Amino acid sequence: MTDAHPPTPITNAIRRLRFEHGELTQQALAERIGVTRQTVNAIEQGKYSPSLEVAFRIAAVFGQPLEAVFQYQPRV
Amino acid sequence: MSFREKSDWLSFISLCLLGVYFFEVGRGIWAGVRPGGPYYYFTLFWVLVVTLIGIQVVTHIVLTVRAPQDAKTPVDERERLIRFRATQPAYFVLVVGAFLSIGTMHMGVNTWQFAHCILLVIWIAEVLRFGMRLFYYRRAV
Repeated sequence: MTDAHPPTPITNAIRRLRFEHGELTQQALAERIGVTRQTVNAIEQGKYSPSLEVAFRIAAVFGQPLEAVFQYQPRV
Repeated sequence: MSFREKSDWLSFISLCLLGVYFFEVGRGIWAGVRPGGPYYYFTLFWVLVVTLIGIQVVTHIVLTVRAPQDAKTPVDERERLIRFRATQPAYFVLVVGAFLSIGTMHMGVNTWQFAHCILLVIWIAEVLRFGMRLFYYRRAV
């Protein structure tokens, strides 16, 4: 999960899922979804909301449905 | 830091160094003289441009050799967004600057000064474009 006050309303479980998949590195994940490691890092920290296509690719790498990887938490 | 961010840093620094030329031209216009002989600006401009291109080529080759995989990675969606966002303010500056440059024609500037107004506007827009790219890279987007 990202921090309590993420820059975008989209939070994610990428860090946990990477850990659960044998400590998959950001670089390895980046290569599998076709983006740079810096982009994976930005997504993981909640600084950048990926496109739907990249979000689906990430979910596919972890074998999870999209909503298990990304959550929308509207600001109040 | 990604290959393309390093590349943008190099471009930004190179462009900033080109500011030496505009500083010299501004100094000459302010003083009302052309220092260093009739070919001073011509020589200074091309020496700076060739030097900066040389520095860019060499440093990019070094970066590519040191991290070939990083250099081969295609531009992804976040980087395209960064480029798009950085281009917007730079284009605005370019358009406003172009109109202001046209305005200088009514102030009695000669062709040489008018050409330098246009060059200066292009330079400012490019510095801004690369500066904004670096800003967005540092901010993650």
